[in-house]
Amino acid sequence: MTDAQILILMSTLSTGLILGAIFALVAAGVTIVYGCVWLPNASNGQFFLLASLAAWTFTASFGWTSLAAAAGVLILGTALSYLLEWILIRRLYDTPNRNVAYFVVTLGLTQIMTGIFSLTYAKWSDQFTLPPVIEGITMFGPFPMPNNRLVVMAVSLLVLVLLFVLLRYHPYGRALRAVFQNREAAALRGVNVRAIYRLSFVLGSVIIFLGGILFALAYSYDLTVAWTMSITAFAIMIIGGPGSVIGALVVGMTFGFTQAIVSIFASPTAATFSYLGAMLIILLFRPSGLFKR
Amino acid sequence: MNIKLKTCASAIALAAAALCTAPAAAQGARPIKIGFVTELTGPWTFFGTSCVAGLKFATDEINKAGGVLGRPLEFIVTDNQTKSDQALAASRNLDINDKVLALSGPTSSDVALAMYGYAEQQKLPFLVPVAAFPQLTKPGTRYTFRIEPDAAGWGYAMAKYIEQVKPGAKVALMHSDAALMRAIMAGFRYQAPRSKLNIVADIMFPQGSSDATVQAAQVRAAAPDYVIVSGAGAFDNVITNQLLDLGIKPQQIIHPYGITTQVFGWGQRSVGSIYGTFFDAGLDTLTPAGKDFIARFDAANNRPPSYVENYCYVTPYIFKEAIEAAGTADDREKLRNALSALNTKEKTSGVPIVFDKNGARKEYMYFQEIVSVNGKRNYQSKQRFYIEWDPEVIPVYDLVK
Repeated sequence: MTDAQILILMSTLSTGLILGAIFALVAAGVTIVYGCVWLPNASNGQFFLLASLAAWTFTASFGWTSLAAAAGVLILGTALSYLLEWILIRRLYDTPNRNVAYFVVTLGLTQIMTGIFSLTYAKWSDQFTLPPVIEGITMFGPFPMPNNRLVVMAVSLLVLVLLFVLLRYHPYGRALRAVFQNREAAALRGVNVRAIYRLSFVLGSVIIFLGGILFALAYSYDLTVAWTMSITAFAIMIIGGPGSVIGALVVGMTFGFTQAIVSIFASPTAATFSYLGAMLIILLFRPSGLFKR
Repeated sequence: MNIKLKTCASAIALAAAALCTAPAAAQGARPIKIGFVTELTGPWTFFGTSCVAGLKFATDEINKAGGVLGRPLEFIVTDNQTKSDQALAASRNLDINDKVLALSGPTSSDVALAMYGYAEQQKLPFLVPVAAFPQLTKPGTRYTFRIEPDAAGWGYAMAKYIEQVKPGAKVALMHSDAALMRAIMAGFRYQAPRSKLNIVADIMFPQGSSDATVQAAQVRAAAPDYVIVSGAGAFDNVITNQLLDLGIKPQQIIHPYGITTQVFGWGQRSVGSIYGTFFDAGLDTLTPAGKDFIARFDAANNRPPSYVENYCYVTPYIFKEAIEAAGTADDREKLRNALSALNTKEKTSGVPIVFDKNGARKEYMYFQEIVSVNGKRNYQSKQRFYIEWDPEVIPVYDLVK
């Protein structure tokens, strides 16, 4: 292979891995909340953006390092998720057809957050960037990979693995899966269903916040990223199977690599709708998603 | 955060002040009302609010100096929410209820096109401060006048710049699929063979793209002398960084246009790269008034102004000259004729302001080299090239429909 061919191959691999891992992470957050609480969070894109913008505020206005900003956003995000659950989400736990009610409520949240961002951040800048966590590049043959993006990729994959282990082997994970499958039966076996709902909402939301921080570390972004990420996360959740973290991982990675490969052999424009086309085809044959629970 | 909050507060205060005040010198007299329909919310908020900040400086200056024909100039600033239908509704309201003498304000081409239709139909003079889509001054246009050169012409100017610095250069294009970028690239593609330039890669990204690593590698493999980068919003920065990551040198990168926040976004690692502009703190030709405007704007907003703010600063002065030439502030047709016959210079940089039969301006462009970037506060640039051209030196209205 020539250097040019290796360069293109390596760039495809790195793009697929980074985009795929971030897509998978955000979709995992969405799918945990939907699978457990039956809450289709229409505001997941705004949560994602909130984390990115808050990290930008901490670095640009307070002079924090990106690492400190990430920690600050995660702490704030956890507190905010608990607060939201306490004020709003728990009031609908026992509502019949609560998925529709939740969708409407989170749609309202989306509008409110969009309005706030429009009155604040949209006036301050048309684009946002975080300083890298770590400087320098690592050479993979002729391909120079920024160390900062390596960190983003490693953290995304590590969190996905930890999430999988948590849900598979930890008592909380087992309780959560029990609630996924049958709320009443889980309650009869002594599972505190409302506590599991609360934990699931907070965990799912914090993962989306983390996705926002990692995206902001890897890419420059503007306010339109909320919509793109929201659609992508929902698509991954539907194809992977609502409630399935392994589904989110597999489909997220597939989306990332599809984008990278189609953009070489066709065009970047074809890449953006190629995975949505794939979604429709898969749903024709597997209406409940690839990894039905 | 304090700085950002102050910026926000001052932007809101400026908009409110522009809505409500008639400064002291010309108070008492009936104000000359002009509808300023701009983007105060929605995706183009930053451009609209920046524009209003520039507008307010000039309006205050004019009114403190006695106004226009002894009357205060009042811009009725209205939010179009970056939506065409909202812009149209606001234009109609300003026309019918406020009986404005003229319209102005949009910084988005899509929004400006909606207002264009209304202005032409209602024979209402319409001065577009910042919108570059060529069809805003298509043949037969009578009441619309555009201050910013059309985007296809920017492509022409870039080709002329590269032709001068490296004859026969190999050039790669990377741009977003947005009306502005498509127009710029259409102009460049038209002019490139005429300037003996060779386009070795031409990649368009859909809106909402977030990664360009693979395409950056493709471009690197094509070994161009220059890469023209024009991404929508933050994606411009993504493409730039990924090209630099892969070993493209800053000196090889040309941005068709650059405003202050973009230069901050490109950052210190882009020192040596080139961007096109129509006004910049680093111009060689700044007038004393231009230097004063930059200093005062910087002090109020914690960043130097770019061409967006400058065009909106220039707008009230253009109205002033045209109204004075018309001799009345109550006749739209006379104002239209005065705008059409205007032959003046930008107060800030001295470049000519002359409109052709379609309302397109005698066009021009500067190319600046980034010398240093100081965080999000300041930057320095050096003027490398200046060009003027007739709006129809290339067939802009056929290239971009």
